Amino acid sequence: MRKTIVNTTAAVRALIEVSITPQQDVGFDNIAQRIYDFPEVKSCYLVSGRYDLLVIVEGNDIQMVADFVAAKLSSMPNVRQTATHFLLKKYKEEGQILKQPKSEKRQNISY
Amino acid sequence: MRISKKVEALAPSGIRAFFDLVLGMKDVISLGVGEPDFVTPWHVRERAIQSLEGGFTSYTSNKGMIELRREITDFLKKRYGLSYDCEEETLITVGVSEALDLAMRAILNPGEKILIPEPSYVAYGPVVELAGGKPVFLPTSVETGFKVTPTQIEKAITKGVKGILLGYPSNPSGASYTRKELEALAKVVKKHNLIVISDELYDELTYDFEHTPFATLPDMKDRVVYLNGFSKTYAMTGFRIGYVCGPEDIIGAMTKIHQYTILCAPITGQMAAIDALKNGSRDIAVMKKEYQRRRDFMVEALNRIGLKCHMPQGAFYVFPSVKSTGESSMDFAKNLLEQQKVALVPGVAFGRACKDHVRISYASSYENLEEAIDRIQTYLKKRKGGLS
Repeated sequence: MRKTIVNTTAAVRALIEVSITPQQDVGFDNIAQRIYDFPEVKSCYLVSGRYDLLVIVEGNDIQMVADFVAAKLSSMPNVRQTATHFLLKKYKEEGQILKQPKSEKRQNISY
Repeated sequence: MRISKKVEALAPSGIRAFFDLVLGMKDVISLGVGEPDFVTPWHVRERAIQSLEGGFTSYTSNKGMIELRREITDFLKKRYGLSYDCEEETLITVGVSEALDLAMRAILNPGEKILIPEPSYVAYGPVVELAGGKPVFLPTSVETGFKVTPTQIEKAITKGVKGILLGYPSNPSGASYTRKELEALAKVVKKHNLIVISDELYDELTYDFEHTPFATLPDMKDRVVYLNGFSKTYAMTGFRIGYVCGPEDIIGAMTKIHQYTILCAPITGQMAAIDALKNGSRDIAVMKKEYQRRRDFMVEALNRIGLKCHMPQGAFYVFPSVKSTGESSMDFAKNLLEQQKVALVPGVAFGRACKDHVRISYASSYENLEEAIDRIQTYLKKRKGGLS
């Protein structure tokens, strides 16, 4: 069985797709606010496409994020479905290409 | 004796053993590398890949692909207002190294002399000797910013001096010349009817003023052999593509030798070079900016930790003095390597006049440079404290 190994000593970040049943008159705003008021939620966007809210959550470890999704997010009225994507590796963030170990291909010394 | 006297007599690369020491050592921060740390821009590599996929694996014309020669002459015209005929005055070579060798073999008769300002690139003396000529070294110092002066040339003129081999911006000192300085040199060149072999491989890495090709100076074009290439400017050292532009008779003579010894430069590199000229200007700007940032850091940092370093105007080298340590450049380099695992090149490699200097290449990441400066400082402190 293939197992994804995540370094749980580092802070964990997850992107969560949230599908919502919109409320009459206020649409997504009220439920969005209830979600983005949680301190675990670092970012929250209403998006077009297959789901409604893209929520970025951070925790000290996977368990903490999982507990947040199970206990707080999924159980909210009007939340129909969630899909949680844990970040495994960062390549580029905020326009910055993150440092990768670089293999030196040059000779140590040359004229 | 199996080996020719001429080759036997070539000065052995005094620092070969030091190079072997560096190459055999692991986890070294190397500031001894004479090539860019950037990888060739992707669009250039992609063009090389496409050329292989397309089956372009044959010889090209001896002089090199006409498309590349045309791109080069168009570029020189646009960049410097320098006009060469791509048919008769341009030759594609295997790096500037080949062009240098061809130029010497094409112009020198046995015993004729070539003036070479020191410090100089390591191959300058040997290519003159291998061509049967005699190098006459003109030592320069930090007092003139490692630049040769018209007076020095004037004094060195004796019977049999055929030309001067000038490399600017310089490997190893980073020195380059302003237009005014070159004009003063050109007067002496004209007066004594010299040929100028002008190695301008680092031209695009000139930081403090606009680079002036020697051939653009008044009355100089017909006596200048202009050497350039793609290795440094476009980070294409492994592609091995250089070129030479000059008077038809000299290019013709060089082509004669080239067609018998090399045949042609590799086609993959030539096709990649066409793309570099067409689409590479933005890449040059990005790399140049980063090199300049590193140069400024290195000069400030070296002076701060006690190694006197002048501000070089180009290339990607600084050439500080290690005289304050009381060590020769070779001892300094060896001890620094052994104790702090930082590699650099002792100045003696570039001429006897440079025994107090070391060449530090800043073609290395900024983080590496910072770490190297810390290690050099540690070395200097320990030495001062009598711990080493």
